[in-house]
Amino acid sequence: MKRKLLAALGICLLTITIQGAILAQDSNNAKRKPDVVQNKAKPRTGEQVFNDNCYRCHTPPMSIPPRITGTIVMHMRTRARLSRADEELLLKYLAP
Amino acid sequence: METRRHKHNRWMFVLTAGLCLALPHYVSAQNPQTQNLQILDNHAGFTPTISGGAAYIHNVNGGITTLIPQINPVLLVPFGRHVLLESRTDFTGFFQRENQTTGPFKGKVFKTVEFAQVDWLANTHVIVTAGKYLLPFGLYNERLLPVWIRNLQDTPITSTIGTRNSGAGDGFMLRGAAIQRPAYSIQYSTYFSARSNINQLQAARTAGVDTSIYLTGLRLETGFSYQRFLQQRNINSVATYISWQPRTLPLDLKAEGDYSYNGKGYWIETAYRLEQLPIPPVFRKTQIVTRMQQFFPSNGGGNSLPSVDTHRVDFGLNYYFRDDIRFVSSYGRSFSSRGNNNVWNVGATYRFMFPLWPGRTR
Repeated sequence: MKRKLLAALGICLLTITIQGAILAQDSNNAKRKPDVVQNKAKPRTGEQVFNDNCYRCHTPPMSIPPRITGTIVMHMRTRARLSRADEELLLKYLAP
Repeated sequence: METRRHKHNRWMFVLTAGLCLALPHYVSAQNPQTQNLQILDNHAGFTPTISGGAAYIHNVNGGITTLIPQINPVLLVPFGRHVLLESRTDFTGFFQRENQTTGPFKGKVFKTVEFAQVDWLANTHVIVTAGKYLLPFGLYNERLLPVWIRNLQDTPITSTIGTRNSGAGDGFMLRGAAIQRPAYSIQYSTYFSARSNINQLQAARTAGVDTSIYLTGLRLETGFSYQRFLQQRNINSVATYISWQPRTLPLDLKAEGDYSYNGKGYWIETAYRLEQLPIPPVFRKTQIVTRMQQFFPSNGGGNSLPSVDTHRVDFGLNYYFRDDIRFVSSYGRSFSSRGNNNVWNVGATYRFMFPLWPGRTR
């Protein structure tokens, strides 16, 4: 019973932390309204997608042979559950 | 009774297959953004590829030396832009002295097909996978297992939780990004695996789900995995994990807590690269790794888990000659009522990727 309570408390804390982090990020974005407008003007780049996602698991490769870039990005999209838009940005960045 | 169950199973199969086929189209129809996405004009090639990692590790565990050469080639064959065949085979040799501490080295090379799957990349929200796939449970099995990725060569004690029996499942999996926003994305995987005893396709009857949220600004990911083991004793396994790579520091922090019928435990790992320190550039390619873990068995432990309380600390020192070649070393000490022992690892890892044949470029 005590364990179940602890587990439930843990899940609640995790949920609150996640929601808090999202809200904090949203409120930060709201406070910096001009930046948000600027960000909207500046769409996400392939370099950002590359830096944000590759480091989550491994050291990113310094170069990928152009002939296989598409194949590697398809593989990583499946493994890292990336969106279609991120895949396109990565392809544009890695094989312009 | 049996006929009714068969009928029920058949209907369930038809329903699942129908859902798998219909869901991508439905989600795609709901999301005009992905529908209107145009293929960008770039020079990315879609040639069949061999990638993967190779390593040689000299391991000394409690005074017993083991030489572990290994290679894990990954075959990638794309069929257009939406279908990918991928497979990884592991060849690992274990060589020990004939009398454990004396005599010539003798051993064997083990061959394992770790996954062999076909992926249909339907859209942002749905990727359908069929075949033998790695079980998406916690951080380790699917993401950190390759020798060229893992910071410490020894896997965490709890890595066998949620990955019984072979670390892979035979069946279907749906995965993708459920929600994608500039500030965060929520990702999911859900699967059903059938029981199989076929050589190289061994798998247990399991079903499970893994979901995580990634906060882009903070580079923080936190997730949750659940698995129901559906053969012999039906048991639940749960994992919660966190992964953080701050923008201002070359630090990688990962932690996971696991719970199952056979016990519970956790591990916390940090890896720091000396890139920002005011030291000669040659030393800035060094990475310092620490890991702390504890495991507490329940119901006698078992299923590749210790049967007594076990604590372990590891310290690692890696050196990146290039992004694909590195020297790895680590020292670990394991504490349990069965006795304490030291574990040393020294070796090198290499990551490779090359086209199978000259291909067209787009």
